Amino acid sequence: MLIESKQLACKIEQVTLLTDITFSVAQGDYLSIVGPNGSGKSTLIRCLMGMLQPSAGELILNGKALHSYPRRALARQISYVPQAVQTQSLAFTVLEFVRMARYAYHHPFSEWQPSDEAAVQQALATTHTTEFICRQCNTLSGGELQRVMIASALAQQSPLILLDEPTTFLDPHHQVAVHQLLQTLNQQHGMTIIEVTHDINHASQHSQHILALHQGKMMWHGEASEFMETQRLQDLYQQNFIFVRHPQTGRLLALADES
Amino acid sequence: MSRQHWCLLLISLGSLLILVFSPFVGLQGVDQEIRQTILHDIRIPRTLFAFIAGCGLALCGMVFQAMFHNPLATPFTLGVASGASLGAALSVFLGISFSFLGITGASLFAFAGALLAISLVYGISHLRYGFSGETLLLTGVAVSFFFSSVILLIQYLSNVADAFQIIRWLMGSLTIVGYYEIWQLLPFVLITAAVILLLGRELNLLSAGDDIALSRGVPVKAVRYLLFFTTSMCVGAIVALCGPIGFVGMMVPHICRLLIGHDHRWLIPASLMFGGGFLILCDTLARLVIAPTELPVGVITTMLGGPFFIWLLLRHRRPHT
Repeated sequence: MLIESKQLACKIEQVTLLTDITFSVAQGDYLSIVGPNGSGKSTLIRCLMGMLQPSAGELILNGKALHSYPRRALARQISYVPQAVQTQSLAFTVLEFVRMARYAYHHPFSEWQPSDEAAVQQALATTHTTEFICRQCNTLSGGELQRVMIASALAQQSPLILLDEPTTFLDPHHQVAVHQLLQTLNQQHGMTIIEVTHDINHASQHSQHILALHQGKMMWHGEASEFMETQRLQDLYQQNFIFVRHPQTGRLLALADES
Repeated sequence: MSRQHWCLLLISLGSLLILVFSPFVGLQGVDQEIRQTILHDIRIPRTLFAFIAGCGLALCGMVFQAMFHNPLATPFTLGVASGASLGAALSVFLGISFSFLGITGASLFAFAGALLAISLVYGISHLRYGFSGETLLLTGVAVSFFFSSVILLIQYLSNVADAFQIIRWLMGSLTIVGYYEIWQLLPFVLITAAVILLLGRELNLLSAGDDIALSRGVPVKAVRYLLFFTTSMCVGAIVALCGPIGFVGMMVPHICRLLIGHDHRWLIPASLMFGGGFLILCDTLARLVIAPTELPVGVITTMLGGPFFIWLLLRHRRPHT
């Protein structure tokens, strides 16, 4: 197992945000974390990143406690793409920003290596961002910026990548672009992906496993193909759904019932 | 050579020219012998002193702006300088005259005040989960006001001589005779500059956001505490010797960013050189405006800094998206 969560709980200022979260993610897996607003999805991601300390339970990365990793060593294992709203005012050029992601491979006196440049160039090529390396990040559109953020995470060359709602603020075209990019990373590059998302149709079609959170507790965890079920979705979101079949893939799609 | 090379080269050249020529400004027509004395005992030490203090102030300002992702956040706007001033005023009031390892009591008190201020501001603005730049700046203003009122109280309680000494010193002045103060200040600025120069990559990532820095492998807390400690030390030493010279740490790094970009590996040496030259220039101005008397340099920097602050405020107000 690449990463395991055992009875994880997280509290901030006496407010319990997560309780009893147990799951594991294997190398090459694609896990989507879904749930209504405030269900603890981002908190879980932040725990997995080592940004928040669990108040109980433990997280195990490659057989070792996650909190025992020094920061740089952890960054070589896990990379992170934050929510888009947090990254709007970056004043670096795209190339500068992606190069900064090689931090974990350097110390104050080390030189820039050919292997660093190779990692950066490959990350830019994979995300199709090579064309705007000279532009300032704060002049990019939402879709471009999100691809740059993913490029930056890729330049870290970690086997596991965490994404917090990577497509929430994007138009359909850019959503598809990001979804396809994640598919490529997972299937061709063998990267393990954990993604927080509100797009349950995307989650059930493209990821391998789904973890549903509700009020800080695990409501369901299993194969993505088994996720779509009327009662489960209603319990999760307090909302009725109708199901239709995708005309091409034949998989179930859920539509919020507005009647 | 890249644009950054040229910028840094020109900034350094400009600062060094200012450093070399400013001692001679305003010495025309003075008798040769007196001129030598003035140069050696007053002008050269004063210019060097201004240069070193300017370097330190600009660097500390740059670090605060990067750490708090806000061009308005500097040791002066966040009350660190007020804390240091309170410490130094307290040492005058109590008649402290001891020194420890060659560091004067005033410097130690100023350092303690600076550290107290930054702990207060950082602690209060982080009390609630989820903190914002506005909370931080407002906390800084509040802490600053509080410390200023305590300084007023100390002045009120002091005898006339002490009160006058405190007031003059609060205006910020670089008037020194001889080299003693330079040796008092130089080690602090050198240590601070060394620490900051080594943390260029970390500052880049911190300025991109704490989450990004953390996920790229920066031990954010450790780096932040190290920077708090060194900048408090540096600001403490400068304030104890020169008084609170405001706004250098806000203007210089910001202008350097416009010239050389946001990469701290360039920005750090640029701010250092620009800061030194800038403070000498302000000090020369302070000597000349109402010659033969002179103004405290703090009056000049604050007069320039006030409008600059407003310009920054207006420039950074963007419609919410």
